[in-house]
Amino acid sequence: MRHAAATRALPEEAFAAHVDALAADPARRGELNALLREQHPHYDQRGAATIVRMRGWVLLALARTGVSDADLIFVLEELESGLDPYLVAAAARALRSYPSPNETFAPFVMRALTNIRYHDEPISFESYGEYAVAATGTSPVRELLATLAWLGPHAAGVLDEVRLLRKQGSGLPAKFRAGIDRAIQAIRGPERSDPPAAPACCGAPATGVERTSSWPPDERRSCAPVASAVLQDHDGATITFKEFFTGQPAIVAFFYTRCDNPLKCSLTVTKLARVQALLQAQGLAGRIHTAAITYDPAFDLPERLRIYGKDRGVRLDAHHRMLRAADANDALAEHFALGVNFIESLVNRHRIELYILDAQGRIAASFERIHWDEADVVARAMKILDERAAR
Amino acid sequence: MAKKQKTAKRTANKVSYRAAMSVATNEKKTAKQRVAAIASAPLAVIESDKDMQAMLAVLSDTGEPIAVRLAALQALQAAAFSVLAFASNRGDYIATLRKVATDPDPELRQRVLGALMRDQDGFAQKKLLDGLKDPAKALVPPEKALQLLSYDIHADAYKIAREIVKEPPNDDAKREALRLLAADTKAAPIFEKVLRDKKELRENRQIAASALHSLNPDKFQQYARKIVLDKSDYDDIRATSLVALQQFGDDEALGKDKALLKSVKGFSGGKTQAKYKQTAKRFLSKFAG
Repeated sequence: MRHAAATRALPEEAFAAHVDALAADPARRGELNALLREQHPHYDQRGAATIVRMRGWVLLALARTGVSDADLIFVLEELESGLDPYLVAAAARALRSYPSPNETFAPFVMRALTNIRYHDEPISFESYGEYAVAATGTSPVRELLATLAWLGPHAAGVLDEVRLLRKQGSGLPAKFRAGIDRAIQAIRGPERSDPPAAPACCGAPATGVERTSSWPPDERRSCAPVASAVLQDHDGATITFKEFFTGQPAIVAFFYTRCDNPLKCSLTVTKLARVQALLQAQGLAGRIHTAAITYDPAFDLPERLRIYGKDRGVRLDAHHRMLRAADANDALAEHFALGVNFIESLVNRHRIELYILDAQGRIAASFERIHWDEADVVARAMKILDERAAR
Repeated sequence: MAKKQKTAKRTANKVSYRAAMSVATNEKKTAKQRVAAIASAPLAVIESDKDMQAMLAVLSDTGEPIAVRLAALQALQAAAFSVLAFASNRGDYIATLRKVATDPDPELRQRVLGALMRDQDGFAQKKLLDGLKDPAKALVPPEKALQLLSYDIHADAYKIAREIVKEPPNDDAKREALRLLAADTKAAPIFEKVLRDKKELRENRQIAASALHSLNPDKFQQYARKIVLDKSDYDDIRATSLVALQQFGDDEALGKDKALLKSVKGFSGGKTQAKYKQTAKRFLSKFAG
């Protein structure tokens, strides 16, 4: 919806050439990172399949130049919740260009294998926008197995799962047997003098990637630009941003009902319901608000919001609402710097994102791209609540 | 005993699958015999990778009779439902479909593109969009391309569908463009226009009514009332509107709407078709006591 006036300034082929030029110029390689952000104007008013081709090409450029710490979260995001074979394959290949393998990457690679194994298809990385018409090249499963082999002993934590891939019947097809064996052999590795570091706590990557951000009270941006934004809830009732989001902390997730990736919006809203249950269990359901705000307010009318939330176990009442922007979607997107873009009024790509607002409606913490843990979210929100009590 | 019977049945099935595959891939048999063999054991192809590859070869071979190739496609599509067994050949299957999408036979092209679009395949989507933008590149008629593109709401097809509604190459293309736009929130004004236009094809007005109800229910309620009040409009359109009012309207307001109730009373008698009379009577029993 944003950049509605923007035109498709860059044809796809020119975009691909631009990416190649950035990749070839050591002084400008860092600019590739900006092209992984969904809200980049280049992605405005493009179809979802076009976005796949464009993002895939950026990931492949990173695979050539080397994934940096700043790029890493985009690669892991694709492995964790991506379902498009081209993007998953490109992400798997890109990960292998990170300076060093890390044991925290292994669960992401295994998750990707689980997600994509029944959607494996031939992929061509030869030239921009090319689709494979022969199965002789690579595929997401092949790339993921190669990435497991690259991880080597650092994937020891998932070795048992990799062994199961060899199992007849429930494992991967026999044609991948050689790739699995190479991965197992690499994971077992030669006798090591320096064993990999112990796995990081709670599965969070130990290096290179930060999935959450938080801001101390004196550095939080005021919610003034969106204070008067009118929101409509699942029952059709209207309320301003300020009315709903000030006076107590709040947990806000973004989603849209037409999202066709079950690992994104549907899971986000289901997890929000679990957050609500945790708040309820702690006696905080009335002291911390929750909201799920749609990216797609033109389609997600109150009845759709209500049904979508109810189907996923979301508690709906005055403190916990499914919301749509009645008049200020662009302002909301700008305020939260939402990771989303559109074709016409429809989302073409978005990230997973959840925010914790303080009692003044300011963004105090955010969880982006990688799926958040419900207990972590509640703990963070409780800290914000305690901040208020301490004043 | 039961185990022995099961084993015997499995063995018999395998023998019949093998026999079917042997006929299906035998170029010396008639096309009719081969199609019958494929139809008799649609899941034979997943019995072995070799059989699957043989069937893929039949599908992609332009020298094979088209009836046999279409039967092979059908068997492969059925096999694809057995996700686990099919996994080892899925890559070859997708690659073959993409190759056959540009086959000289129009029916095969259409069915292959349909199979790919049901998987939201980017290759098929691009081909279909390219064909709509440049008819010289079209692999299927525009109405079919629009129908297949509508399988994926995220396809970049709204703009071209709007252009087709404005200047349709034929009635079918306009109908499919309207169907596709039913998910486009910006298309509500198009549906209002189609719904208002009594010269428009009735099927298109039905699509418009349904789409407007989905995209802008309040606006549709206004139009529905107007249509029910309009004695000169078609019975089926009036009946559809009446059902929408009954199911989704404001009960209190409808019960007090004397002009509407009078019109529905008229609609429930006279020359109205019997099935629509029933619709009107149901409405009256709910709102007129």
